[in-house]
Amino acid sequence: MNTACENVRGHLDAYLSRELQEETSREVQRHLDYCRQCAAELETRARVRAQLQAAVRATPVPVHLEAKVRRELRGDVSPARPRTGLWAIAAAVLVIVCVALIGRLRVESKPEEAILIKTSGRLAAVLNVGLRDHLHCAVFRKYSKQPETAREMAADLGPGFADLIMLVQTKLTGDFRIIQAHHCDAGGRHYTHFIIAGGAGGGKIVSLVLTRRQSGESFTGGIHQTGVDRFQVVGFESHDYLAYVISDLDAQQNLQLAANLAPTVREYLAVHSG
Amino acid sequence: MFSKLPQTGEFEKAALPHLNELYRTAARLLGDGATAEDVVQETYLQAWKSFARFEPGTNCRAWLFKILVNTIHHYRRGWFNLHRVKESEEILEHTAAGAAPVPERIAQREVLRALGRLPADYRAAVLLADVEEFSYKEIAGLLNVPIGTVMSRLSRGRKLLREQLSELARSYGIGRDAGKGGGT
Repeated sequence: MNTACENVRGHLDAYLSRELQEETSREVQRHLDYCRQCAAELETRARVRAQLQAAVRATPVPVHLEAKVRRELRGDVSPARPRTGLWAIAAAVLVIVCVALIGRLRVESKPEEAILIKTSGRLAAVLNVGLRDHLHCAVFRKYSKQPETAREMAADLGPGFADLIMLVQTKLTGDFRIIQAHHCDAGGRHYTHFIIAGGAGGGKIVSLVLTRRQSGESFTGGIHQTGVDRFQVVGFESHDYLAYVISDLDAQQNLQLAANLAPTVREYLAVHSG
Repeated sequence: MFSKLPQTGEFEKAALPHLNELYRTAARLLGDGATAEDVVQETYLQAWKSFARFEPGTNCRAWLFKILVNTIHHYRRGWFNLHRVKESEEILEHTAAGAAPVPERIAQREVLRALGRLPADYRAAVLLADVEEFSYKEIAGLLNVPIGTVMSRLSRGRKLLREQLSELARSYGIGRDAGKGGGT
């Protein structure tokens, strides 16, 4: 590399940023026209910059942040709700009910809620699809804590999903095991539901929920996570299905469990869709 | 309260479109999404309080970034602690390192990791110049340092980043610098 190259390399980044004086910029351009090495170096730098931009811009922004900011700006911060117990469930249900309502009637009475729903966006609504079934079926409904036998589960699920029981079970770690598997309906929607118990001496309940995707519902790839009070929801999609893992485990545990199950569930649904 | 609303609307219209960029910058500078959220909220509150002093037609985006940078600065110095009451419905959405990660995802994670390893001052300069595409002069204003300092931080920051990434490429066995000759 000669001194001309060295000189040009010192200017390459500023050249990319269009920060050079016109005259210097022209000199750099002239050099790049005949020096292949420096032109290649410019390309490398441009590529690194593009990669950096893409990576930073891919940082997901929390879906509720804009709503939060709006609420604060309007001096309308509602008092913190209690974090545990029935209030927590009530709060979670409130969110779901509001999401359910928004499509049918315009909620004008509580503008902050309406904003929250609108701006927390389509993705939050899709994640709530799974949470609804967990609350409806595994939290509120009195199901037998006595585990079903594999045969009972297979009978409940029918031939379409019976094979999935064993596949899911093999992906569960620790003392987690399926205690129920069935089809159920909640909010006018059909779900396939596995109830899994384990963790903390078997005291935690985890739902694996599958439901057919309806038009407009999508996670647009990837695994998505949301926390609604004490519930953690992880959602992903496969072909015609939306799949969810929901529990009151901590976020990391729930995500790990979902990450263990996702490949198997995806593969199964890919084969059995349509 | 209500008489303030129309102006709030005006403020929101001007300021909220920049929320994503502000959050991403804060998250990369602080290395922590939850703190970035608090900082962004604080930024908007501060911006709103001084909105009367904001002149329409001037660069709203640079003005917001300036407040963000100051807020982060204060935050680092512990001037405001998480005084905010945590909301009960915290919806954290993030794409997780799920099953079968797509190759470019990994690459992105590596790029971000390399960025995260840069000293904070370099990282701020690189983010503002190369991602947010502020001019050197604007960055000098945002960071409240002379333009020469901006240039030297940028030069060192970019160099460190390139070195880390080419190190990574080598460890993957990608000879992407094959065309780079020894010199004439």
